[in-house]
Amino acid sequence: MSPQPQAAVGAPLSRVDGRLKVTGKATYAAEHDIKGVVHAVIVDSTIGRGRITGIDTRAALAQPGVIKVISHLNAPRLAYRGTENDWPDSKQLRIFQDDKVLFRGQPVAVVVATTLEAAEHAAHLVKVRYDAEKTSTDMATAPAGEPVNYARGDADKAYESAAVQVDATYQQARAHHNAMEPHATIARWDGDQLTLWDKTQWPMGTQKDVAAVFGIPNDSVRVISPFVGGGFGNAIRAWPHIAIAAVAARETGRPVKLVLSRRQLYFGVGYRPSYEYRVRLGSDRRGRVSAMVQHLKSETSTYENFIEGVLNTGQMVYNAPHVRQDHRTVPLDVNTPIWMRGPGYATAAFAIESAMDELAHELDIDPIELRRHNEPEEDPSNGLPFSTRRLRECYTVGAREFGWNRRDPKPRSTRDGDWLIGTGMAVGTYDVIRNGAQARVRLNADGTALIQSATSDMGPGTYTSQSQVAADALGLTMRNVTFQLGDSTMPTAPPHGGSQTMINIGSAVQDGCDKVRKQAIKLAVEDKDSPLYGVDAEDIVVRAGRLHVSDNPARGETYRQLLTRNNRTHLEVLGSWTPGQARHSMYTYGAIFAEVAVDASLGLVRVRRMLGVFDAGRIISPKLADSQALGGMVGGIGAALLEHTVTDHRDGRIVNANLADYMVPVNADIPDLRGIFLDGGEDLEADPIGVKGLGEIVYIGVAPAIANAVFHATGRRVRELPITAEALL
Amino acid sequence: MYPFAFTKASNTAEALNAGRRGGRYIAGGTTLVDLMRETVERPETLVDISALPLREVTVTERGGLRIGALVRMAEAAAHAKVRTIYPVISEALELSASAQLRNMATIGGNIMQRTRCTYFRDVTAACNKREPGSGCAALHGFNRTHAILGTSDSCVATHPSDVAVAFAALEATVRLLGPDGARSIPFADFLLRPGSTPNREQSLRKGELITAVEIPALPRPLKSGYMKVRDRQSYEFALTSAAVALHVRGGVIREAKVAAGGVGTVPWKLPAVERHLIGERPSRALWAEAAKHAVDGARPLEHNRFKAELLKRTVERQLRIVGGTK
Repeated sequence: MSPQPQAAVGAPLSRVDGRLKVTGKATYAAEHDIKGVVHAVIVDSTIGRGRITGIDTRAALAQPGVIKVISHLNAPRLAYRGTENDWPDSKQLRIFQDDKVLFRGQPVAVVVATTLEAAEHAAHLVKVRYDAEKTSTDMATAPAGEPVNYARGDADKAYESAAVQVDATYQQARAHHNAMEPHATIARWDGDQLTLWDKTQWPMGTQKDVAAVFGIPNDSVRVISPFVGGGFGNAIRAWPHIAIAAVAARETGRPVKLVLSRRQLYFGVGYRPSYEYRVRLGSDRRGRVSAMVQHLKSETSTYENFIEGVLNTGQMVYNAPHVRQDHRTVPLDVNTPIWMRGPGYATAAFAIESAMDELAHELDIDPIELRRHNEPEEDPSNGLPFSTRRLRECYTVGAREFGWNRRDPKPRSTRDGDWLIGTGMAVGTYDVIRNGAQARVRLNADGTALIQSATSDMGPGTYTSQSQVAADALGLTMRNVTFQLGDSTMPTAPPHGGSQTMINIGSAVQDGCDKVRKQAIKLAVEDKDSPLYGVDAEDIVVRAGRLHVSDNPARGETYRQLLTRNNRTHLEVLGSWTPGQARHSMYTYGAIFAEVAVDASLGLVRVRRMLGVFDAGRIISPKLADSQALGGMVGGIGAALLEHTVTDHRDGRIVNANLADYMVPVNADIPDLRGIFLDGGEDLEADPIGVKGLGEIVYIGVAPAIANAVFHATGRRVRELPITAEALL
Repeated sequence: MYPFAFTKASNTAEALNAGRRGGRYIAGGTTLVDLMRETVERPETLVDISALPLREVTVTERGGLRIGALVRMAEAAAHAKVRTIYPVISEALELSASAQLRNMATIGGNIMQRTRCTYFRDVTAACNKREPGSGCAALHGFNRTHAILGTSDSCVATHPSDVAVAFAALEATVRLLGPDGARSIPFADFLLRPGSTPNREQSLRKGELITAVEIPALPRPLKSGYMKVRDRQSYEFALTSAAVALHVRGGVIREAKVAAGGVGTVPWKLPAVERHLIGERPSRALWAEAAKHAVDGARPLEHNRFKAELLKRTVERQLRIVGGTK
């Protein structure tokens, strides 16, 4: 078959929804104009653990405009039939069902009022009495649970007998996603039918979670979420406020809008858990790593055990024959963590890549050389061949473009006035997540196409990149393609997270569009009135809405002519993709390079420039990919130098629950950043369109590259993120 | 936010009248409205004073500056006279907040701004400043950004203003107008250390209005500047800061005005550092020696121990930058 010409894919196109966004016309969750909507504000627990002994709502109810106050004292008992999602034992949507307080900030009541102001004020007037118990929120002192283990070879023995040993423990602070858009939901019941306008990265996930709460069929819940103002993983799971909005709407008989305040976003939704990660590396003197022993500890809630893919990296990134890992979670009086950009892998990269840098220094070997010495030829964790693994090229291109080879390996060897200058590098890896998906493709007789899938666009540009895939597969210009998402009634889509949207939705869109195009071609070659009658279908391509013989462009006709003549209003197909059994080890890879300046006396760290070189498979949309690379590096700078959720262990209070005290980078912190995606990276083992996903890999390895550069600049190894002035004074 | 009444004063008499009846003055509102939304502040009546004629920057007879209370931070920072006579004021303003906030916030409001102590701003926490007698959650809580100077067992909150540090260094005067007439008080007496009454932050009488901040004339040539040390490079309150003004004649320091920010419960004047400088010749050794005195009397807390060392180094650096020795 003649391949479709590639016009949109690979072109550096701007976002198709860019104008909507910059003119304020993109409608986010709280902005949907729902007739008769009333406002809900949550009352948060002010103790970290214990029981509610009484709730006085008189003052709140006396406020003008207040409709109802709902708490465990008057809330309906809900069905909780169990959800079909990743969280079969989900407990976090158990709102207002009993008097127990499991963490500080847990919703204990909700006030519904005709105005937001009335609801906010009345929420403040609800007086809750508690019987408080001692709170346990400190991972360092609380008991850990049973470990998850992994072993190959005899790592302890190999470590003990190794010529060179590194033994270091790395700490990573809890971090919050802090998307610009707060989590928000509008809930409306029409009889037994619930509609939720929600901020979500997974409309069908929220649909199932909320249906389970009420014990109603999934089809009875519709989730609408056309735009998401940043997610970073936090909007993949349904949080309590969504169930609260739905309950409040049912109890008041009114559509209810509930928007979390910035403060509430620090306990009303999830966060990246804090970790303690000990790494022991055993190596010979030439830098061949024989043993990796890793002990991990991370925080979770008392009511759910949160585990993420933190162990994979340590099993497959380097070719050590002997590896042992154990990971214990520590149940605390906190709400449950959730995935955050590069979940698990970013955490592992900080520990492992820092330890490798320590080993390189110990051995007096260039950090890249050390990594090259330990590059596996097949996945050492399972013996599978790699689909594509181009880390060596990442090193080569990165070293060249960054000027790595001019580096004086000696720490504290470069100075610029008051500033010590250093460079560092680190490796990132991330899983290729294949879940499959569906997409409905409808080609209209006017030559336009509509493609739908129940996915999301939290910012990476799903609308645009999926349109690019569709445009080429259908042979249409971008202008004539519309991609819609964010509605649970659309064809099935997995979570929009973990860099899997292009892989899964893209493959389904490709499938659907290919099928529609072939239908049209079949229609033409079998239609006596078509100029293409009798032509071998394999010889026909479609370009800008016109079907023609591939080596004779003059012979052909448009979709519009073809469909109109055949009295067809449209052609429609449900495209789908289901991944087969994985016969390969599939990951994205990156090598990150950073140059930092550290004020020699004040201890301030400033990133001067960064370069990321990525093996992410085929790049559909280079401009969006570049934006992702920049955003990922910005996020990594935050993790390395600024981001840290602080808990006061005396009472479980989040001390810095606002954007003045929880610091993220500002423009002034962002230097010259550059991302390079390796050319020719099509990975057809991963999926039919050859992509591997890129939203995570651009973030993973950034923080250790900066930490390693700080060591090179100062000779001081900081093993705790974020790296702040006090560590370097 | 608690319900409140809102009135606009069209002249000074109206404002004072409303102030005497308990109205709270509001101009840019960049602090007050935030705190009202957190229910930390619960004023019954707000009196908008933006229309009052307090928006001038003028050179005083003796060659000092008078900055009207309603001059916006951005306007003051950009003002030619401020820039040329007291760069330390311009720099302190430009390193504050964000461009949007500087366009709203006024000089009078800036020196009235309240602490960023997170326990103060969280109404569920114990705070003697917000609720006298309730205790101080910060004393043994997370206190990385808190004060090491001028603290008491009742309160360790830092005064957040940058420009107030410059005012303290330059020994400014605050001009006030109240129901009983006008008066002036030295800046050092305007902001109060917490002692056992951290809820009392300024020596203002009921209904008194700030009309201007006056900077006295200093001998010229005067070199001055402000340095701010913080985790990120913009839009953050100071971990430490230093305002320095030096008058050097004949190779000898004749006048030295030095104050520190981010470390004190009020902007922290450093007379011991100043004394060490006056009469000496600028040198690296002098800066280091003088800066040692910046932490005289410091009382660090669990998470802000580093501030003592950081403050010394900040003062030393800024002396070098302003003093011009390589």
